[in-house]
Amino acid sequence: MRPLTDTRVLRPTESALALKLVSEMDLLRLKAIARLHARGMPPDVGWEDLLQEALTRVLTGARRIPKGVAPVAFVAGVMRSLRSEHWRRFGAARRRKDAPGEYRAYRTRELALRDAAPGPERSLMAGEQLTAIERLFANDPVALAILDALGEGLAAGQIRARLALTGTEYDSARKRIRRCLLREGLTCAPD
Amino acid sequence: MRTRLMHAFPETALERILDALEHELAGASDADVLEAADDLGMKPQMKGSAAFLGLRYPSAPHRAEDFFDAQWMLQVLNDPRRIWLASAALPQKPPLPAASRTAARARPARRKSPRPKEPREG
Repeated sequence: MRPLTDTRVLRPTESALALKLVSEMDLLRLKAIARLHARGMPPDVGWEDLLQEALTRVLTGARRIPKGVAPVAFVAGVMRSLRSEHWRRFGAARRRKDAPGEYRAYRTRELALRDAAPGPERSLMAGEQLTAIERLFANDPVALAILDALGEGLAAGQIRARLALTGTEYDSARKRIRRCLLREGLTCAPD
Repeated sequence: MRTRLMHAFPETALERILDALEHELAGASDADVLEAADDLGMKPQMKGSAAFLGLRYPSAPHRAEDFFDAQWMLQVLNDPRRIWLASAALPQKPPLPAASRTAARARPARRKSPRPKEPREG
């Protein structure tokens, strides 16, 4: 048996590339998406952690890509669910911590009162990130208005109607948003 | 037209915006990615492109603190037994070539500096 000489451990992104799960361009798209999702996480969770964790779950089979679904869209979905999972756990930990002492003795999942409010720290963080996104599009009022409408949960047709944009203007603004996000996503600057 | 992203529930607005932008990025074409990289002066086609920092290469060099507990490291570093073991495992010095060995032998011994005479009593 040949001795094992190459003991370098591949990172999940490298493994995904080697296994042809994703292409190099897909990895760049995923980097941009991970950097975007990391904005919705506390500062101690970096985009690399988020992406490597999502890819690890796919590579280990914890999450299986359904047939007909693009790997990038699927991994992006895993990152989105990781973000939700983080805040769910964070909220549960906060509820347990805030529960009164006597009550804590009886605490179970069933007994604990569910408080769906996000908490002040999360609201503060979200406000800061909205400001950071706003800064990215400071020179593009149309893009900013579209993002504002997206934040209200409006669909494309509703946004166009509200902002009185033609199809071409809307598509052009979306292209500018995409390019700006890709630029921000490919950069190596801190989040 | 509003020019600020002001919302009563910023976390909900952020979630919606991130989800919408995620779809935008997932659907970006290769040409879009290359154009954005070109804006930054990156060439993803080239080996070792900065665009792959954090993907193929770590974006920040790893430090020992990333892997080991700081307290544990201090204990290890301050433990004399471990220091002895570590120094014993160091590779031996290679033997000096013959010429330099003779040169070393030829070197005159250091002369001891004469002790200053102490004044005798009486």
